[in-house]
Amino acid sequence: MAIAIRQITPVFAGEVSGLDITQPLGRDDVAAIEAGMDRYAVLVFHDQRLNDQQQQAFSRNFGELESTAGGNITQAQDRRLDPYMADVSNLDKDHKPLARDDRKRMFNLGNRLWHSDSSFRAVPAKYSLLSGRIVVDKGGRTEFADMRAAYDALDAATKIEIEDLVCEHSLLYSRGTLGFTDLTEDERAMMHPVRQRLVRTHPVTGRKSLYLSSHIGSIIGWPVPEARAFIRDLAEHATQGQFTYAHAWRQWDLVMWDNRQLMHRVTRFDDTQVRDVRRTTVAGDGLTVAQAA
Amino acid sequence: MTIAIDPMQTGFVGEVSGIDITRPLSQDEVAAIEAGMDRYAVLVFHDQALTDDQQMAFSRNFGDLEVTLAGEMTKPEERRMANELGDVSNLDHRNQVRARDDAKRLYALGNRLWHTDASFRATGAIYSLLSARAIPSAGGNTEFADMRAAYDALDDTAKREIEDLVCEHSIAFSRAELGFTDFADAHRAKIAPVRHRLVSTHPVTGRKSLYLASHIGGIVGWPVPEARAFIRDLIEHATQPQFVHGHVWRVNDLVMWDNRTTMHRARRYDDMNQVRDMRRTTIRGTGIDVEQAPAPATPIAAE
Repeated sequence: MAIAIRQITPVFAGEVSGLDITQPLGRDDVAAIEAGMDRYAVLVFHDQRLNDQQQQAFSRNFGELESTAGGNITQAQDRRLDPYMADVSNLDKDHKPLARDDRKRMFNLGNRLWHSDSSFRAVPAKYSLLSGRIVVDKGGRTEFADMRAAYDALDAATKIEIEDLVCEHSLLYSRGTLGFTDLTEDERAMMHPVRQRLVRTHPVTGRKSLYLSSHIGSIIGWPVPEARAFIRDLAEHATQGQFTYAHAWRQWDLVMWDNRQLMHRVTRFDDTQVRDVRRTTVAGDGLTVAQAA
Repeated sequence: MTIAIDPMQTGFVGEVSGIDITRPLSQDEVAAIEAGMDRYAVLVFHDQALTDDQQMAFSRNFGDLEVTLAGEMTKPEERRMANELGDVSNLDHRNQVRARDDAKRLYALGNRLWHTDASFRATGAIYSLLSARAIPSAGGNTEFADMRAAYDALDDTAKREIEDLVCEHSIAFSRAELGFTDFADAHRAKIAPVRHRLVSTHPVTGRKSLYLASHIGGIVGWPVPEARAFIRDLIEHATQPQFVHGHVWRVNDLVMWDNRTTMHRARRYDDMNQVRDMRRTTIRGTGIDVEQAPAPATPIAAE
């Protein structure tokens, strides 16, 4: 059975068939997936009964894994999963749904905002791979927006205006937007803002994309309110229906996406029900711009 | 010449002709405009070269004028116009374009967020009337969204869920959203949150609307982040293209809208180099829709 990819929307996203990713992959399969990622930016694999070890092994075909440290407020003793598995569930370590006012739940609500994973790290993430172990049947979709198509659709004056802009990203900003400010000094220090170019160029395809994220709190050299109003306008432009794909989860779906070319978010669901999705993240390989001294 | 109202492309905006609103109006004309407002929610009048006094006189046909919050927070010697006029320009009191980092400019950037005027007052506002005295050559449109159509388009489960929700509104929430927190201590009382029902019912037509605004910072009884994520989703729903009309200004346009049935926002323009001089009168709300809290229940600061 050979790997095949069917494009899902007129703009991007592909559905992969003919591959069992619980097993070690051949070099040709890895190359085919990477080529698919460059082209479609998000790939969907159905019926992949992965455990955590298999998910990590599959993910390592595409680079080093990023540690989850620095990206959440969960204490080590409260973790459900190992440090290379981002716990995107609504569960505590006893596998019970988090209470309505649980800090971790409040923090995780930030995933309802459009973002790019780890844009708050100086070296931001390359791919994210999300495995649906237990899914909800209503809501809880993951929506993706193609930042290449969004960039292409900007007018020439805007492209010129934004070409060299540099933004500051931090979890403080996305969480502040939702009024979650209940943070310790250590957590605030962990969330120190980093700089990212607003326009990125893909290292393989050479295509430009908007590097947007709700983690953005300012643009270097701009007054903060002006920067935020502008970023909101850009994000609104970039998440119009024609640039988006909404993934309705089936159990054992594995969805992988290129954070350098997409934003994503989760939609609301009844989180008294269990939603257990687990993410591995392939680390990026460099800065997008020099950091502040 | 008799008044006529024709629907514009989006069904909730009417274009009014056959009336000179710089002159005193007859009772029939006032009634026709009010009926038009109830039907359409936004009315556009072209070629009305209003003075400030004429704009106030026209506006008073529909109720008492409110003093804008921005006006209350501006020193008298720095105001460009009477207290009953909201200065929606990019000019200072010497008629110079405000500097990029001018606090009044940064505060005014909150108008780029979807909102309803004065939802941060317990009584809200009825109509707003915006007169274009000078406009930029590009950008600076005002967009309107029909909150009745947005409510109607919700599914039954959502309608049931929101029916009795009460939101907390403060100017500090919308400004904090843009990172603006520069309020003088003397104005703290003015920015204390007030409560409004999320679903409002129009007193004349009986139609239900979503009463949304970027001034919302919380839902009573909900954790703050959950409330804000939910309100963002509702605003996104309510501002889909099929509910939105973008008004492209001409000099001497007067646009009036019902804050009880619409949201609106201004779009970006080159405000460092071009003048946009718009003046707003606002018809004060006449009652409260829900019991107010004795003290702020939601923290105001963001970040």
